[in-house]
Amino acid sequence: MFRWKRLTAIAAVVALGLTGCAAGGSDSSSGTPTTLTLGVLVPATTFEASGLNWANESPYGQAVYDSLLRGNPDGSIAPNLATDYTYNADKTVLTLKLRTDVKFTDGTALDASAVAQNLLRFRDGTSPNKSYLAAVADATATDTSTVTITLKASDPSLLSNLTRNAGMVESPAAFTKADVATNPVGSGPYILDVAKTVVGTSYVFEKNPNYWKPADVHYDNLTLSVFSDATALLNAIKGGQVNATNTASNNDLDQITAAGFTINPLELNWTGLMLIDRDGTSNPALGDVRVRQAINYAFDTKALLQAVGQGYGTPTSQIFPKTSVGYDPALDSAYTYDPAKAKALLAAAGYANGLTLQMPSTSLLGTAVFTLYAQQLKDVGITVNFTDAGNNYISDVLAPKYGSYYFILQEDPDWALIQFSIAPTATFNSYHTQNATVDALIEKIHNGSQADSDQAVKDLNKYVVDNAWFAPWYRMQSSFATDAHTKVTVQADNAYPYLWNFTPIS
Amino acid sequence: MIRFILRRLLSGVILIFVISTVAYLLLYLGGGDIARRILGQSATAATVAQKAHALGLDQPLFVQYGQWLSHAVTGSLGSSWFTSQPVTAAITSRLSVTLSLVIGATIISAIVSVILGVLAATRRGWVDRVVQIFTILGFAIPGFLVALALVTVFAIDLKIFKPTGFVQFATSPGGWAATVTLPIIALALGGIAGVTQQIRGSVIDALRQDYVRTLRSRGLSNTRVVYKHVLRNAGGPALAILAVQFVGLFGGAVIIEQIFAIPGLGQVAVIATTQGDIPLVMGLVVATAIIVVVVNLIIDLLQGFLNPKVRLS
Repeated sequence: MFRWKRLTAIAAVVALGLTGCAAGGSDSSSGTPTTLTLGVLVPATTFEASGLNWANESPYGQAVYDSLLRGNPDGSIAPNLATDYTYNADKTVLTLKLRTDVKFTDGTALDASAVAQNLLRFRDGTSPNKSYLAAVADATATDTSTVTITLKASDPSLLSNLTRNAGMVESPAAFTKADVATNPVGSGPYILDVAKTVVGTSYVFEKNPNYWKPADVHYDNLTLSVFSDATALLNAIKGGQVNATNTASNNDLDQITAAGFTINPLELNWTGLMLIDRDGTSNPALGDVRVRQAINYAFDTKALLQAVGQGYGTPTSQIFPKTSVGYDPALDSAYTYDPAKAKALLAAAGYANGLTLQMPSTSLLGTAVFTLYAQQLKDVGITVNFTDAGNNYISDVLAPKYGSYYFILQEDPDWALIQFSIAPTATFNSYHTQNATVDALIEKIHNGSQADSDQAVKDLNKYVVDNAWFAPWYRMQSSFATDAHTKVTVQADNAYPYLWNFTPIS
Repeated sequence: MIRFILRRLLSGVILIFVISTVAYLLLYLGGGDIARRILGQSATAATVAQKAHALGLDQPLFVQYGQWLSHAVTGSLGSSWFTSQPVTAAITSRLSVTLSLVIGATIISAIVSVILGVLAATRRGWVDRVVQIFTILGFAIPGFLVALALVTVFAIDLKIFKPTGFVQFATSPGGWAATVTLPIIALALGGIAGVTQQIRGSVIDALRQDYVRTLRSRGLSNTRVVYKHVLRNAGGPALAILAVQFVGLFGGAVIIEQIFAIPGLGQVAVIATTQGDIPLVMGLVVATAIIVVVVNLIIDLLQGFLNPKVRLS
């Protein structure tokens, strides 16, 4: 018995000691926080400017680099490294005037030559977004603070792209360094602390003491912690180990708010069916607009929003986001759930006895969703035969191996969205559907006056909805969580808020 | 002795070669479109094709494997396709983390199971029954469930430990203890159950031997008989189980590291395998195979040290 008492005493002492250490280690003291710890869902693929990813990886690039232009939270464009940006008359030559007081953290000056080199490297680099600069024919330094970008053809997205990874500037002295991918040299608000960083898990940054715009640096230290597992992320939130974080799904929002976090909602993606084979190449039925409309009418989008999206989102029939000039509130309910109408349309198209569609499935997007929507289609007489595509879902649908499939797709700014989902060469127009009406509208959006272009976006949106190029269910809510010490303004056109929009609450 | 070690090392090299070949084949078969996965859905087809070419993914399987092998033999394992970190750096920086957990769990399970096993075997009666029930529970409850319960109670509610992350011992011993204690407990539990049963059985067997009666009749104290003589005889089989468990704990660490977001080999293995990060997975396969070969060799030598009967003449 005596020994047991001693053992218990030792255990108690050890436990107390640990409590002391743990409490001493945390820094949630009073006053304004000086450290920002952000949860991210993905590690940095690379820190090399010419290979940078965007979206969920944007904070890595923004920590260490400056972009030529700056994206405001509403998606509008403001000066940054470039104080002035002007096009020639036909918008094929862009002239950038640069700040002259910016230095890289290796001490060298950020000048026009460095910018021109970075632009060309990005265009020819390995970034998934390298097509952002595909229109660039050349970029040259006219003098030390002027860059001239000549384009093969005008690109309405170019300025917006320069607010993102395509506009980030790395020190040319770092281009040839062996560790360029993991030890970035930029001019940004923070400097990566390579010694404290565990690549793939936590990236530790310190404030850049010589930053040219100190008003934008709200913290002395920045840590980007990677959480690939939803349970670990939730535990980190509950344990107060992050100040703010992105969430992979809306499954845990109740628990996240219960832990004292605020949810900052944002709609960035739409989900539903892609009806890409509009010419009926793989299945003649899909070539008939009545069949595609019937598919739209077959979906009880409100029920799907509840069942698949836990109610977080807005039902819609259009793929253009609320921020678009082409957005029309009426088109959110262009197709409302009407199985009788769906059956009538199918009968009119000659499919009174039903039809069969081939579609891929994958556990990566959940299992319930495929069962649910197949059931709703079955109710109007459309049978879905699923093939499990596993990890190859995206490459299979882009191949294209299927005329229609379930997907979650991003809602970019207008021109990018058109180039991504609608134009004949768009990545997600895999059967390259093309017709004169759409071509004319896209041409007007590209080269028309501002008023004409805006009207053409509206017309294009309506055309795509009327002709049922897609069968959207709802715009999904993305949820960015912040703790009581942190305020953020979300970015309308990006999955992750921009770094300078995080501010401490004292 | 030296010939024995050399022979074991040689068979280890062959084993590593076979394992790496099979792993490469499996990765290739399950790989799919890795370039698309690296670049995501927004990349154009041309960008994806260029990436695949840059990574050599458009080459035939045997060419890709040959290139990997020729580099690996010279010690160059390449860089991760998804984080750009050199593979050797990725593994060495994480090895110490996982070893912290695995060695910690092994030591804890060795100490606790010796105490429990000997207690159960010498006291018998209700003590034995309680220990038996605990070991069966330890077998039955999966480690990750224990881990989740521990996090909720001790990290989130009581705030004694950290729910996620890892702090190096050198950086802060207190922080290190606050991050590794719960994972080690969760990992050790299954091991304690197995080894306790083994020690209990072996000690009971040993206690029935004639030499124990002789020792007792010579007036040795019970403690001395049990801890000096019986345990040494009973230790062999327990050590064998502990060795198997040490290797098995690397598998257990895969799940535990995910739950605690600990940057160890297990966590990186899960991520790299699902992504198809071939250079990193292959590096991990080689590193794990080396660990298994070395650990088995050490255990064989230890067995010989403990028990003269298994020593090679």
